[in-house]
Amino acid sequence: MSEYLFVGKDIPRTAEVDKVTGRAVYINDLKRPGMLYGKIKYSEYAHARIRHIDTSKAKRLPGVKAVITGYDIPDVRVGFLKDQTVLKKDKVRQFRDEVAAVAAISPEIAEEACDLIKVEYEELPGVFDPFEAMKEDAPLIHEVDARGRPIRTNVLPLPWKFEAGDIEAGRAKSAYVVEDKVQTTWVNQCCMGTSGCIAEFDMNNNLTLYNQTNVIFWDKRRILEYFAQIGLKNSKVRVVNPIVGGSFGTKLDTDIYEFICIQLALITRKPVKIIFTREEEFFALPPRQPAVFEIEQGCDKEGRLTFRRATAVLDNGAYTSWGATTPSVMMMPISSLYRVPNVYFEAKCVYTNNIYCQAMRGYGNPQATFAVETSMDRLAEEAGIDPAEFRLINTNKPGDETPMRLKITSCGLEECIRGVKEKLGWDKKRGKRNGRGVGMASLIHVAGGARVYKSDGHGMIIKVDEHGHVDVMSGGTDQGQGSPTALAQIIAEALGFRPDDINLVFGDTAFGLWDAGTHASRHTFIAGNAALKACAKVKRQILELAVEKMPKIIQQQIKRKKRKDPDFKEPDLDFDLISDPKNLDIKNRTVFCVKDPENPYFRMDVSRILREALDVGTGESKVVVAEAFYDPPTEMLDREFKGNLSCTYAFGTTGVEVEVDEKTGEVKILQLYAAHDVGKAINPTLIKGQIYGAGYMGVGYGLTEEMKLEKGRVMNPNFLDYKMLTAKDAIPVYPMIVETDEKDGPFGAKGIGEPGLVPTAPAIANAVYDAVGVRITDLPITPEKVLKALKEKRQGK
Amino acid sequence: MKKITVSFTLNGDPVTAEVPATWNLLKTLREYFELMGSKEGCGVGECGACTVIIDGKAVNSCIFPTAEVEGKNVVTVEGLASKDGTLHPLQKAFLENNGVQCGFCTSGMLMSAKALLDENPDPTEEDIRTSLSGNLCRCTGYVQIVESVQKAAEMMKNQS
Amino acid sequence: MIEYEYLKPKNLEEVFSYLKSFGEKATLIAGGTDVMVNIRNKKIAPEALISLRNLEELAYIKKGEDAYHIGALTTHRMLETSSLVARELSALHDGASQVGSVQIRNVATIGGNICNAAPSADTAGPLLALDAAVVLKGPNGSRKVPLTEFFTGPSQTVRAHDEVAVEFEIPLRMGEFGSAYHKHARRKAMDLPILGVAVSLEMEGETVKDARIALSVAAPTPIRAVKAEEFLRGKKGEEEVFEEAGKIAAEEASPRDSLRGKAWYRKEIIATFVPKMAFRAMERLKNR
Repeated sequence: MSEYLFVGKDIPRTAEVDKVTGRAVYINDLKRPGMLYGKIKYSEYAHARIRHIDTSKAKRLPGVKAVITGYDIPDVRVGFLKDQTVLKKDKVRQFRDEVAAVAAISPEIAEEACDLIKVEYEELPGVFDPFEAMKEDAPLIHEVDARGRPIRTNVLPLPWKFEAGDIEAGRAKSAYVVEDKVQTTWVNQCCMGTSGCIAEFDMNNNLTLYNQTNVIFWDKRRILEYFAQIGLKNSKVRVVNPIVGGSFGTKLDTDIYEFICIQLALITRKPVKIIFTREEEFFALPPRQPAVFEIEQGCDKEGRLTFRRATAVLDNGAYTSWGATTPSVMMMPISSLYRVPNVYFEAKCVYTNNIYCQAMRGYGNPQATFAVETSMDRLAEEAGIDPAEFRLINTNKPGDETPMRLKITSCGLEECIRGVKEKLGWDKKRGKRNGRGVGMASLIHVAGGARVYKSDGHGMIIKVDEHGHVDVMSGGTDQGQGSPTALAQIIAEALGFRPDDINLVFGDTAFGLWDAGTHASRHTFIAGNAALKACAKVKRQILELAVEKMPKIIQQQIKRKKRKDPDFKEPDLDFDLISDPKNLDIKNRTVFCVKDPENPYFRMDVSRILREALDVGTGESKVVVAEAFYDPPTEMLDREFKGNLSCTYAFGTTGVEVEVDEKTGEVKILQLYAAHDVGKAINPTLIKGQIYGAGYMGVGYGLTEEMKLEKGRVMNPNFLDYKMLTAKDAIPVYPMIVETDEKDGPFGAKGIGEPGLVPTAPAIANAVYDAVGVRITDLPITPEKVLKALKEKRQGK
Repeated sequence: MKKITVSFTLNGDPVTAEVPATWNLLKTLREYFELMGSKEGCGVGECGACTVIIDGKAVNSCIFPTAEVEGKNVVTVEGLASKDGTLHPLQKAFLENNGVQCGFCTSGMLMSAKALLDENPDPTEEDIRTSLSGNLCRCTGYVQIVESVQKAAEMMKNQS
Repeated sequence: MIEYEYLKPKNLEEVFSYLKSFGEKATLIAGGTDVMVNIRNKKIAPEALISLRNLEELAYIKKGEDAYHIGALTTHRMLETSSLVARELSALHDGASQVGSVQIRNVATIGGNICNAAPSADTAGPLLALDAAVVLKGPNGSRKVPLTEFFTGPSQTVRAHDEVAVEFEIPLRMGEFGSAYHKHARRKAMDLPILGVAVSLEMEGETVKDARIALSVAAPTPIRAVKAEEFLRGKKGEEEVFEEAGKIAAEEASPRDSLRGKAWYRKEIIATFVPKMAFRAMERLKNR
């Protein structure tokens, strides 16, 4: 294979110059003429009946253009289980329940109007623990379902149950069995750019929604469904991304604030902007799904896994967003991380009066991997086998089909485990129990798309104009990972152009072809493959035009030269060589003849050819444009949650060396190696950026971050008390890029967006155990928990 | 609504603003001068997305009263590049070393870094991390931001 | 809606004049990093802010014949970059340099930090361990209040509403002490301490001649662990002694469970860090 010109290189993201000059327009910066500002009034109780809402004073405040409550807008239920209305009018079920909203000429007036809205509540007993909520006598959060049928339990009617093989048979074959209970709590995505949108209707009731969403086409579909139910059957919707200030999972659903914003815009007939404050970002935005796991695993005498059985209870909060679907992703590590023949997994989602949850980087995988990898270390210890060896004995291999029927194609897990083991100095450092220790954990994640929706496709339109400039209209969105650069590299490589020639446009439903969304680490893989399909068509068009136009252009050149210099000797050219597109190629945007590559007459910039094709002067004018819609050859999960939903899978291992201060319980990370099988690194610097960022987020998940809820109220809705790491909390993260050349990926690439985070917390927990012999099974691993465990250990508990 | 009038230097130009007395400097920059580069990430001086440089010192503009800017020299991200459009070494370095991902924290990072390099052209990694410790970033894990500042410092030393 | 006048008096007389006319309806503002946040979070709603920023003559760090004088408007950044403070009032250097971030330290003042009187104020412990006194000026004159008598409760001090803190005075002999402050926090920046320990020691050879131990977030106000100090006097500066002092100090403290930390943990931290800071204070004295 010849060297690539751009793929695999650290091409800088110079196209994103607006971000360093203050010119990038985020939703916070966007203004529309006549725009009003929307503010939401939230509930004052975790669980209460609404007796009365008095908006009279708010309505009279000068500058207020609209005040709405649940009584003013149609009673439409939204969310994937349709279990909430946009504004709540009978009952509030969580502190963030949206009870009213105001549109005014300034955010200050809107806020003051919210303060003037008086709501009378009748408090109801609340339930703040899913186990309490499952009890017979627990207060019911929801009394009826989406269809109005009475509900008798707080347990959601979701089918999360997975079975493969025979657990009891596996148990019978086991020489060693361990049982563990672990739990994870709420953490916030902490996007630096807060949530918000601008809704604007034209006079024909068509909506333009400026929104940071990663799923512009799903947003559009959900809004159209909403419109159908509020009497706007003929309205059209256009969803447009501004520059997005981070996502990490917050932008995959259509949030309540979006519907509120749309209602305010509809009622006032003006553009309305809602922007969250940082406090709202903490208490009014769905965070990561917490989970309590019970996990049991067994292995035979040789250390081969015999079975894995896990159950999970998820605090679903008051309503439902994607958090309730995380079990479908948890099934992946539970059934398929390492080779394990017999698997059982069951998850219950339970309504409580706590905050409800959505997607966050990893989407259930970090939670489940914490359970699996804690159990793996425990089982290894029980069996007397080194934890790294134990993982190697059970490692996934290329060609495997897992109990979930995932087809493993490329798989660099073994390489990752060995690599991390070596870099850490594992053999020398392990088992000392002297305050320093090493630990590791691995991951499996989708990396070749994820067929969670019936279509996992991505549409792309590529056009080349007569200046040789390439415009790529993609149906995807960008959150800052660098896909404009990575895709430009892929397209440049495929076309024979240069990355600077490529202009990527995305994030607009009006000109993008459909895309399932920038989620599940799918963008580079799916968009990259769509690009390759489209590029093949574009390149063929260019070369066919070259065959058509080059002879004439060359002859004109020769004529000109003769006119200038009568002594000019006409070159002896074999025009047969350029009579077939198969004999031409493009490099640096120059078409050249493969059999005579240095011949200057047979070398021509693409723009020259395309201008000739356009400026014909007869009815034969031609342009170059092609589209491609790539939907990977995968299947949906069947009723048993089995099926190869992705083209390929990401594997990786994180290994950590820690030092535990036995007097304070503080855990210091001495080194963190993150080895990732990325297929092919399209741009190593961008990939490292993902590994660093996800690594830090994983360390936060493992050690410092937690949303503290007390009786349903978020007690730390700010950056002071929510401990996201700062630049001074330097963590020595060392990315290790492993390339396994995935044959179905664009130039061999696989996804990396989420994997970087997944195994970090369990690797740290395992390292802490190695260092001081205490195992913390509930995240985050705070100094208090470690110190308490150390004291109990010393006291012989 | 009580209004105040302040005159100061903004990105090298003498300016005057008439705004409500309650407006913090961030709001004045964004609403009165329409310089949107400085961002509101938290509104309470806890994230640094609003960092600007006042008389050579990095400051959170979201909690800096506009009234106090009288007679001072204020530099925002919009004032980093030269008037002829040449990018400042920091801007170049951030782009070339992947110090920018979603970009929301970038303006503040650039200003904190500039304040540092203007005072200390040869910072250690510790110095850089200290000067950026008031600028939160969720995307990058800070590593490539620190590298960008180091590269910029090198560029600036070579220039002079 | 948030609405106030912003007043910029040119000198103390004008400050007092404004304080007189507005009374409780006005709030003094220096760096603003507390006041601006409290206004935004609706904790306070003053009708006027009286800015002290123009009183530049109140920002200084001086070593006089009688005492160290630190103007109340000295910023944390000034304290952080002062070699005098680093060398002779080290605990204060430790505390000031760990407040918030560079952006905060560039504008926040020591006067604001102390008058705001959060139990977690990072300069409070060091100042207590350095026998500091606050000089308060009012319309009718001035008074000097030892810091040990200044705090009356969380965010409460003896400063009258019409008084302005103008200076902190540290007795010259405290420069003979070695001192150190530990801020125990979850992060290395942008954080408040869960617990603060400041220790200053005067040594005579290997023996502790005099000691101060100040604890923050260990009680409703920053406190001195006087029993632990008494224990240290006359004893050898060694591990067993310092550890015992730590245990005594932990008993003197009455920390509580809060969102930020548990009482039992805070006591552990006191017991662990009093000896550590004592050693550091001793080392610094040796190395001077």
